[in-house]
Amino acid sequence: MPRGYVGKFLLVNLSKGTWNDFTVAESILKDYLGGSSLAAKLFFDKYPLDADPLSEQNPLMIMTGPMVGSGFPGTSRFSICAKAPQTGIWGESACGGTFGPELKRAGYDGIVFEGKSPSPVTLSVVDGKVELLDASSLWGRDVYESTDLLREKDAKLKVLTIGQAGENLVKIAAIGNDKGHFSGRTGLGAVMGFKKLKAIVVRGSAKPDKADEERYKAAFKVSITEVKESAVAEGLHLMGTDANMDLGMVSGDVPIKNWTVGEDFEMSSNLSGPTMREKYLTKEHACSNCPVACKRVVKVDEGPYKTEEGPGPEYETCGSFGTMLMNSDLTAVIKANEICNRYGMDTISCGSAIALAMELYEKGILSKQDLDGLDLTWGNMEAVMPLIRKIALREGFGDILAEGSLRAARKIGRGAEDLVVHVKGLEAPMHDPRGFHGMGLAYMMSNRGACHNQHAVLPTEQGMASWPQLFDMKDDYVGTTSVDKAMLVFNSENYGILANSLSICHFLVHILKPETILEAFNAITGFELTNEELLKTGMRDWTLKRGINNLLGITSKDDVLPKKLLTALADGGAAGSVPDVALLLSEYYAIRGLDEKGYPRQEKLIELGLDDVRKRLYQ
Amino acid sequence: MAKIKALTQEWLDAYKAAIVADPEYKQIAKDWEGSVSLICNADPGKGIPEPIYMFQDYWHGDVGEFVVCDKAKADSAKFVMTGDYSRWKQVALKELDATKALLQGKLKMKGDLPYVVRNIKTVNKVIDILGAFETQWPDDPE
Repeated sequence: MPRGYVGKFLLVNLSKGTWNDFTVAESILKDYLGGSSLAAKLFFDKYPLDADPLSEQNPLMIMTGPMVGSGFPGTSRFSICAKAPQTGIWGESACGGTFGPELKRAGYDGIVFEGKSPSPVTLSVVDGKVELLDASSLWGRDVYESTDLLREKDAKLKVLTIGQAGENLVKIAAIGNDKGHFSGRTGLGAVMGFKKLKAIVVRGSAKPDKADEERYKAAFKVSITEVKESAVAEGLHLMGTDANMDLGMVSGDVPIKNWTVGEDFEMSSNLSGPTMREKYLTKEHACSNCPVACKRVVKVDEGPYKTEEGPGPEYETCGSFGTMLMNSDLTAVIKANEICNRYGMDTISCGSAIALAMELYEKGILSKQDLDGLDLTWGNMEAVMPLIRKIALREGFGDILAEGSLRAARKIGRGAEDLVVHVKGLEAPMHDPRGFHGMGLAYMMSNRGACHNQHAVLPTEQGMASWPQLFDMKDDYVGTTSVDKAMLVFNSENYGILANSLSICHFLVHILKPETILEAFNAITGFELTNEELLKTGMRDWTLKRGINNLLGITSKDDVLPKKLLTALADGGAAGSVPDVALLLSEYYAIRGLDEKGYPRQEKLIELGLDDVRKRLYQ
Repeated sequence: MAKIKALTQEWLDAYKAAIVADPEYKQIAKDWEGSVSLICNADPGKGIPEPIYMFQDYWHGDVGEFVVCDKAKADSAKFVMTGDYSRWKQVALKELDATKALLQGKLKMKGDLPYVVRNIKTVNKVIDILGAFETQWPDDPE
């Protein structure tokens, strides 16, 4: 067993109430590293791909990576993976916080859940001792309450739990770690809810070995210096991810009014990271061992959206419940964020679904009666708050939006589907590809649907990061052109994927030099990989997940951008600009080794050691 | 019209004049308060034997003192931006976006970063004007 790993994974059969340890061969760990890459490998090898996401046959996998728990900056992450309820294809969602490192201290690199418990349970793993505990008293409680109750007897427990949205099989349900950290995308909270798995709690005292402690310490020291010298780190610490609100508004990155307006500087100023810092921030907060501390803790003292001190919204939430809804009131965003957190719902999908409903209401496709009497006029946050609750509890019109925007639009009909901004059923995050064409390609090709976190295209195209030592890069990329973007996307995907396989925060991947991360990785694992070999694991990850999706029916016909993103805006940083989809895809397909059907070519699969995928795709 | 030698007092005067003449600047920069120093690191091979310090005063859409100065005065500015000659040249020639240069560490800044982010339109405008007049760079052929 290489160093860095605990060397043990836990398999829990919820139907039988049993569990056992299992191991993974070193050769597989070397090829897939960990996180969602390793989960995809296990999923492909062992589980029926055609199973319904909400069935006993769909496993739920929680995976850390080899650097998690090492103390290296940003290595608090873990991935939660399954066939996704929202999209019906490969689903994964990474999360920071405390759970990942604590799971390793508790004795496991990852946990796989099979089956379905007959009644609500909590899995407890404390220093290697595994128990399934009755969670009936927690069922029906929100994420914050459940977390507090689970910690009543042991305040040191690290908690991963769903709220009512997951219990109600809401297709945009999230999973919360210690209240402030969420695995939000693709609806994996519903998989936990289906399995009647309310929570997982972990605590431990073990410490995974490192291959070369002194070498690691030297790399760690360099990493701290790099964080101290980084303007990105400084900006994230001072303003959180919402620093992008001001910067993005200038460059045409921020979606407004369900992707129909190009700029609104008054709105961005009201919703921005500096405003949050000046008016509502009580303190910065960090995931385990993170020197950046980009998380916000906020409090709203007065007004209709008075909120107790708690986790503050990310940029994505300020977009989805701010600009997307034509809401300039940051206190309303803070409240909406808290409500979503408590119910356990993805704020990107939830805000986007409500933005869709607002547009449908404006166009007369939905009436007030359809909306249970709610006046979904743009910016009316008084109606948004109860609608969030209705979605989480699947009440009235909320039951329709609980299926996610695409399914909701199909149910509503009358042209609603044309107004949904999604790829493969997943609502796009708050970055407009009309301002950054490479992001458009990344949305089309991301294996979980429209996504900003399965790759590192956002930082390279927007200029937060530059890695000429890894691959050919220009000093500056113009966002509103599709020329020269396919290769940038390909390379940025291969490198960015490592964030999810090594389980290191994307922001630290942007901030730290690749050679520093590689040095720490090799010092921890002893694998002695080169950058080229590491990038190849990224290629392998992408291609395996693509193969899984191909087997689930995804073809080139699904690699598309929605109508709205191909309609130019009249104003703003992206005015008049739309991605040249044909150019982007033709170049990318050639580089990535995809055939006209959108399948990885056989020779590419063989080159990447994915012959088993080849056999199933081309049988 | 003769090109103006970059990073000189004459160049700063031309820069100031271009800012004053810009029809949009005054409105965009109406909220900006504070001086900015640009420091160009020495690069003897490119004709910059010593660091060059430039102080610029901005206040609510007006511009004050624009001078080549000593280190102490440069350091007294509210915002101090430092970079290698080649990076400043790239920024002026619009080959490198100043914000991206800052984020990538190609330029360094001391000062209130949230203030800069909040006023990014002003920053972009000033940088945009930097490339508005013909400049002779020290390493350009005469």
